[in-house]
Amino acid sequence: MLIPYLTLGAALFVLGLVGFVSRRNLIIMFLCTELMFQGIVINLAAFGRYPLTGPPTLDGQAFALFLLAVAASEAALGLALVVLLYRFRGTLDAAAWSTLKDS
Amino acid sequence: MMLALFTVIVVLGALGVYLALPRGRAHPGRAPLLVLAAAAGLLAWLVVSVSTGGGPRAAFVVLSTLALAGAVRVITHRRPVYSALYFILVIVAVAGLLVLMGAEFLAASLVIIYAGAILVTYVFVIMLAQQPDDAPCDVDAREPLWAAAAGFALLAAIGSQLFGPVAIREPAAPVGDNVALVGTVLLTRYAVAVELAGVLLLAAMIGAIAIARRRVTSEEA
Repeated sequence: MLIPYLTLGAALFVLGLVGFVSRRNLIIMFLCTELMFQGIVINLAAFGRYPLTGPPTLDGQAFALFLLAVAASEAALGLALVVLLYRFRGTLDAAAWSTLKDS
Repeated sequence: MMLALFTVIVVLGALGVYLALPRGRAHPGRAPLLVLAAAAGLLAWLVVSVSTGGGPRAAFVVLSTLALAGAVRVITHRRPVYSALYFILVIVAVAGLLVLMGAEFLAASLVIIYAGAILVTYVFVIMLAQQPDDAPCDVDAREPLWAAAAGFALLAAIGSQLFGPVAIREPAAPVGDNVALVGTVLLTRYAVAVELAGVLLLAAMIGAIAIARRRVTSEEA
């Protein structure tokens, strides 16, 4: 059952990636990063449950728990930034901040 | 053979996501739904045929279909509130898959942290940063063709390793009392990392407060 889980994790990650590069709303872009985190959580748990060598370990689950902490920090900081940017420009469009790009 | 089938699934998925991404005010209609349903059906058949031994397959197929359908709706829905609600569906499906893998503690903490804390923050921000309905940044995707092509090319590259000529060995073994074991691992081998995670969360909290309470005086930054 390792390959089905890895396939699902890759599919979730890719859907999040497609959404991240194609949507223009800042909030939805952050939701897409959370979607990519879900794919990674599935990969970590699957590799812990069905390791390629040796007995199953809990390292994958422990690592996924740390990933939850990082995701929570990322959501708190990212959404605070989104609120601040919205107050500056009155829109959630990422293109409103294209002046940050290198020319 | 399996690789060819997976390539067909990837192409169908890319086409369906490309058609489903919002472009202008026109409604995408029924076509992307049919294409994505065909891709999901082929993927379920492939998964059932490739999975050997151990694990309830029917539950896996149902939960993974829910997760993928929710993910597609997250990235294609025009209104951010509905995207957040579909993301909760993804979370619940992923938690179910984790239970299938014997990771009960991780599944419970995923539901509590994501559906209970992070998604509430998202909904609050969506309410704070209200835009008019049909704002241009919601109804127009940016380069949907290239985004879908690049993303699904990555998926094809991963799949060519998973379903390639070199088969991955599939072990299966039982696990014990999950919560007690995870607690033991966290507080012995990863004790320092747990402390570091606490410091990271504290720093993120202080940083978020410092960023969000800043007053915006001028219209232009």
